[in-house]
Amino acid sequence: MIVEETLVSELKNTQTQAKAFEVLVNTYKERLYWHVRRIVLNHDDADDVLQNTFIKVYRSIDGFKGESKLYSWLYRIATNEALTFLKQKSRKLGVTSEELQTKLVANLEADVYFEGEEIQLKLQEALATLPEKQKLVFNMKYYQEMKYEEISDVLETSVGGLKASYHLAVKKIETYLRGD
Amino acid sequence: MKQNHKNPHKAPEGYFDSFNERLMDKIVKEESIIPKNDGFSVPDLYFETFNDKITNRTTSKVVRLHSYRKYYYAAASIAAITLLAFFLSQNNETEFGFEDLATAEIDAYFETNGLGLSSYELAEVVDFEAISVLDITQEENDIEEELILDYLDENVDELEYLNLEYEKFE
Repeated sequence: MIVEETLVSELKNTQTQAKAFEVLVNTYKERLYWHVRRIVLNHDDADDVLQNTFIKVYRSIDGFKGESKLYSWLYRIATNEALTFLKQKSRKLGVTSEELQTKLVANLEADVYFEGEEIQLKLQEALATLPEKQKLVFNMKYYQEMKYEEISDVLETSVGGLKASYHLAVKKIETYLRGD
Repeated sequence: MKQNHKNPHKAPEGYFDSFNERLMDKIVKEESIIPKNDGFSVPDLYFETFNDKITNRTTSKVVRLHSYRKYYYAAASIAAITLLAFFLSQNNETEFGFEDLATAEIDAYFETNGLGLSSYELAEVVDFEAISVLDITQEENDIEEELILDYLDENVDELEYLNLEYEKFE
């Protein structure tokens, strides 16, 4: 368990920066990877976004004022990077963000790093129909098992709103999976 | 209940605070048809080799193209002067004000755009902290909360910003 305040001050000190940054990467790389991967779906894209996230953190750590918790700041950067990445991708391909979602899910069938079966593919189809925020909340709660308070820190929305979003997301996904 | 002061066992901080939430999550998962695993995997040794990629990128030297810099300055100066000259010449023309708009045009605008207040503009005027959406629904008990939530979901972009009372959606 790392003490956040110590790590932040070590990250800001040029003498201890390199070592502290390594600790930071080791502590958060897996968690942030899964967070990003569930947004961009493809492994190579997730790898790019994750690298960019840490580079951004490295370059802007001096600007981190400690008003929010370190993990929520990291998650926020990762979320923004992933969503921006998708926007750029849809612009480059000349498709809407909805069309891109459908395309990304369709690509999963041929993805070697997607070991899902029919139900998992259907789950991704269901997720693609959800509004962005509901999809984020669902993945963070159901698959990343984050607490509402943590999600609230990251997405800067009330716990009440998040619970409503999660409830709706679960209901819609279940309906989709049942094929109603 | 009497506490055993000699108990050497300790639970992690906040363990009991979040116990109910975790238990409920587990029950929901057990009962749900949503798969527990979403099927994503990573290449072998991906996380083990990830640090090297980052180290390479944070330690690589940036080569600056100093020799071109003076040309950039010159080009920027010319562009700035051109823009300044352009705006100065524009300013000589008569400026239009609100009073120049015909009432008919203003009416036509509201006709087609409605009041056009965004949720942010509305939030400036209405104190959303003071009232919860469910304050209204509680008075109308015959309206199903679930139906209201569905309605809000379809019609409100940023549902999370409504002051919802979350216990209702446990």
